[in-house]
Amino acid sequence: MSIATAAPELGVKTRIEYDDAPVRQFMIASIGWGIIGMLVGVLIATQMGVWQANFKTSWLTFGRLRPLHTNAVIFAFVGNMMFAGIYYSTQRLVKARTASRLLSQIHFWGWQAIIVAAVITLPLGLTRGKEYAELIWPIDIAVALIWVIFAVNFFWTLARRNEPSLYVAIWFYIATIITVAMLYIINHLSIPTSWTHSYPIFGGVQDALVQWWYGHNAVAFFLTTPILGIMYYFLPKAAERPVYSYRLSIVHFWSLVFIYIWAGPHHLLNTSLPGWLQSLGMVFSLMLWAPSWGGMLNGLLTLRGAWDKLRTDPVLKFFAAGITFYGMATLEGPLLSIKSVNAFSHYTDWGIAHVHGAALGWNGFMAAGMFYWLAPRLWGRRLHSVAAANMHFWLGTVGILIYTAAMYVSGITQGIMLGATKEAGTVLSYPNFLDAVTSTRILMHLRALGGLMYLAGFIILAWNIWRTARGAQAVNGSIEVYVPEKPATMGLGGGFFNAPVIYTTLLLVFLSGWAALPTLPSGLSIVGLVATAMAMSMHKEFTKTSWSAWYERLLENALPFTALTTVAVFIGGLVQIIPTVMISTANNVEGMRQIPYTPLELAGRDIYIREGCYNCHSQQIRTLVGDVLRYGDYSKLGESIYDHPFQWGSKRTGPDLAREGGKYPNSWHFFHMRDPRQISPGSTMPDYPWLFRDKTEIAALPNKLAVQRRIGVPYKMMTDAEIQEACATQAGLIADDLKNAGAEVPPEREIIALISYLQKLGKSEKVTPIESMQAAAK
Amino acid sequence: MFHRILVEEWQRALSVMSICIFLSVFLINLIRVRRMSQASITQLSKLPLEADDHA
Repeated sequence: MSIATAAPELGVKTRIEYDDAPVRQFMIASIGWGIIGMLVGVLIATQMGVWQANFKTSWLTFGRLRPLHTNAVIFAFVGNMMFAGIYYSTQRLVKARTASRLLSQIHFWGWQAIIVAAVITLPLGLTRGKEYAELIWPIDIAVALIWVIFAVNFFWTLARRNEPSLYVAIWFYIATIITVAMLYIINHLSIPTSWTHSYPIFGGVQDALVQWWYGHNAVAFFLTTPILGIMYYFLPKAAERPVYSYRLSIVHFWSLVFIYIWAGPHHLLNTSLPGWLQSLGMVFSLMLWAPSWGGMLNGLLTLRGAWDKLRTDPVLKFFAAGITFYGMATLEGPLLSIKSVNAFSHYTDWGIAHVHGAALGWNGFMAAGMFYWLAPRLWGRRLHSVAAANMHFWLGTVGILIYTAAMYVSGITQGIMLGATKEAGTVLSYPNFLDAVTSTRILMHLRALGGLMYLAGFIILAWNIWRTARGAQAVNGSIEVYVPEKPATMGLGGGFFNAPVIYTTLLLVFLSGWAALPTLPSGLSIVGLVATAMAMSMHKEFTKTSWSAWYERLLENALPFTALTTVAVFIGGLVQIIPTVMISTANNVEGMRQIPYTPLELAGRDIYIREGCYNCHSQQIRTLVGDVLRYGDYSKLGESIYDHPFQWGSKRTGPDLAREGGKYPNSWHFFHMRDPRQISPGSTMPDYPWLFRDKTEIAALPNKLAVQRRIGVPYKMMTDAEIQEACATQAGLIADDLKNAGAEVPPEREIIALISYLQKLGKSEKVTPIESMQAAAK
Repeated sequence: MFHRILVEEWQRALSVMSICIFLSVFLINLIRVRRMSQASITQLSKLPLEADDHA
């Protein structure tokens, strides 16, 4: 940094060299991990059609690799891409070099170490058993720490900025940093039982709500808001014109940030989740249509007058297609949140088509567009091959279309077949679940083909950028700026304790009171509403102050702005989670209460979670005719209250298992786990030979039971010897039963524990309201 | 055919309150955006276009 000239009216003129080394590092990491994540995706897509691709190896099965695929794509590919975009654009938007190279490096290498840890632990079956939140607790702590380091570096850079205003892209980054931290910490609250295992503190319906509050908002605040920030910076850059409507971008930001956080329950429609939460999730999901399309149109219209460049410029081509996919995904998302549509689409491949349209189209194409724009600038050389970039675009586009078309057809086929009834809705048209599996087999091959084409496109990108950078000198951007005198900062107090905020809060409280409270308090709320409006009017009249100045200053002060964003995202979370956590569990079991697992069954459940069975099997019978006819009475709230973590699932590649217990003899499960096709011809489930070889981990059970007691499962105190004896007795009974059926296996093997768990599923006790109240009192 | 409503009395207010809160946020935001000066809007929208030696 060197001082060139001084101009008193503008401040001191300074040349700033940006720190673009982390941008290069994160970009290269994103491309590398992206290819690995997509490669794993192609493998597990192949496993859907060819069961032999599981290779009879524990660490290559679908159940263990699917979490690796999702985590690699979300946190490694998009995560690194997001960091590259944020480090590049933030420096330029605030005209300041990133505050600390050391923190950037800790951030980069720490994040890569986390990904490597995930790549090792997930195939080993070390998992928390919650989708997109599978990483074990030591890695979770590392994620939180590295995220905080990223946040410190980001806000430190903002504090040193030479541009007073905060461009809207910075707002999206702030919302991302705050909300991801909040979501990640709350959904990962667990109590460890060992260095590699823990149980979440939430269970059953509470865990389901917290999980999908997190899961949905991982989509919102990890895969959407940072990419929108990137769109608002890089699209005007590439199109060489300002965003179509800056006003619309402000409305887009506040509406999106405020609404998104409420929509999580749409992942749990027609389940045991309380009805009011389902309605809330559906209504807010529908409201998302408006801001999402506002943003999408704002992006596309930024290309006004530049559409002709799309023929030749691969960057704009990727951006335009990416934003179009964003529009399609955000049209489809609310549609799938309508209860009746969701009844058809949920648990089928329709959901898979939806997320891949968004991930491959929106995230992947925005990443590609950004990388093609960045590479020539970061290495000071023209892109090696525009033709190759164009080939990447068409390979990727056709790949997405083949993939999603196959999944839409498959999802609709599954929805029709699994829900179809005859004889006035009393009999299933396709009682054998496997009919839906075998009918869609060819589509699974097409899915793998589409994925392979998309992967090939990214390999071309990697080659193209490598050739661009090879032998070139890395170039850091620099700029001459006038360092302005620091304006008086607003501070948190100034941000919140002022007339506009206080009057607005009072109006909001009275408005809510009028709408929600019974007659008398409602009437008083109207009085309060009118009184506040009059006081506000008189205040303005007497003081002659302009309240818009407060808002204008807020936009130049990162701290109160961040606080306001935090409040906006907190409200939605609090309204949903607090009532659900506070709701008296024992009073609301809907007449059925889960019987806690025996020690052996708990060990079996941990094996079920380790193998990732929840990736293909749900444990939730919805309030739908097709579900009830196929699986039995719909799932009651109390039937999973002791499940830490819940295992309701999100996709049925195999049938629901909520009432699996007692449906088949022990020997059925024995032979089915050894060779699924022997029992269910046409099944795509892997063989599990290691379950017949490995011993159940009984030694860990005392710790596990102690933690279960701490999180509220009513286990009586047992000594280690009593636990071992209980396991040995139950395992012995199952082993004897198997022997009588011609299936001999020693009682200490994992298959015995797993069978004991599967046979427990759906075993609950009936309780009357009086009994449940007595239980709550105890 | 199925009954699935589980509401304790005080939770009935939450859905209504949620909508009220959102509408307030949206309307206030809309008013503020409409009242922002054109000069400020133009200056903000051009921020990404300011060139460094990478652009």
